Amino acid sequence: MYGSKASQLVKEFASGEKGQLTTYNNDLIREVVAECTQHHLDFQSLIRKMQEEGLDIQTAKNADHYGALIHHLAVVRNKRCLMAYMYNRAEIIRNLLWKIGHMLPQEIKVKLCSTEEEHFKNHSKALKNYMLKVEVDLTVVTSPSSSPISFPSPSPASTHAPDMVPPKDPYIKVRVIDDIGEGILLSDDKSANFALHSMHLLKRTDAEQFIAQGKMEELKG
Amino acid sequence: MAKYYDIDDIIVEEETVSVIFQKAASGVGIDPSSSIFIETGSKVELPFWLAHELQLRQAVSVNVPPCFNQKTRQELHADSAGVDLRSRCPFFYEFGCKIAPIVGDRTIGFLLLSAFKSRYKEILTKAHSVAFAAGSKFWTILTKEEIYLYETAQSAMASFKKWRMGGPRFQIASVLGRKRKSKE
Repeated sequence: MYGSKASQLVKEFASGEKGQLTTYNNDLIREVVAECTQHHLDFQSLIRKMQEEGLDIQTAKNADHYGALIHHLAVVRNKRCLMAYMYNRAEIIRNLLWKIGHMLPQEIKVKLCSTEEEHFKNHSKALKNYMLKVEVDLTVVTSPSSSPISFPSPSPASTHAPDMVPPKDPYIKVRVIDDIGEGILLSDDKSANFALHSMHLLKRTDAEQFIAQGKMEELKG
Repeated sequence: MAKYYDIDDIIVEEETVSVIFQKAASGVGIDPSSSIFIETGSKVELPFWLAHELQLRQAVSVNVPPCFNQKTRQELHADSAGVDLRSRCPFFYEFGCKIAPIVGDRTIGFLLLSAFKSRYKEILTKAHSVAFAAGSKFWTILTKEEIYLYETAQSAMASFKKWRMGGPRFQIASVLGRKRKSKE
């Protein structure tokens, strides 16, 4: 059936959980594009046939006209599916910036194609530039040192919930649940040994990025 | 055009409908088994997006899809909350809204409204009272639209409870949510 490959692509995207990326399906996209090319060729041959018969393409409504119409509609449909696939993925990728910061972890990187990675980099660059110019760090929501103006979530689609409650204590207890690596400098110029499963009392601002990346968890007393 | 990029809208339009060709069309391989020439009056299954466009140009006439047939109507009339609408059409309401003006059946609108009204109450009640696992059988008969409704109701209740009790404020980014489970 026409357009079934394209809809398979869209369904594959939809089958993932909301806000989760599936691996970029290069093969299927190539197949859909090939299908479009085939439709284009069929379309042209039907139009040529009508021209050879001396018919006016604008007004003649014979069998060839409807055949060509079906091919045209199939191309338009395939285009919509491909566009929607890319558009919705791009939106998720831009949202990653707010959720996990400017560096993509490897497990997400492998799901992107090269242009999507490029898009992420450019978006990150643009955002950094913007923040530099207006002198507000929009990605850090609870920062005691930066400006007291707290911005609401910058993009309506962003699910990063800003912590709007003023903290009772600048320090929180965390447990390390993943390899972090050594030599990480905290904001008070001290470094700590973040061994796996060790517990620490950290500044909220220091801990926040690690929790967002899934490397630490907050301990509730 | 407002829904051009809408994934669900694209999937809704993939639903097949049976149409009767009013005009002949040549050079198309809609069904690999049939010939490449479609004669006037032949009955073909087409996806909705194609059928709709062809209907606008008076090339086909669209039949009422089986999910809105008399049997479904009777079942909905008898016990609307217990009817398995998902297996008939995963986007029952959206598809119904799209197909109604095309087939010219004025009763579909009433059918959708009455089905939704009676099922809506049931969904909201269950979303607030039944736990996810216990409600799983009920879960399978809902259409996609109803599932969104169910999830929204549940998350609203969860957010309310969280607000009242106070919960963890820092959380792992949802894109990475699966990471720990896979390691264990």
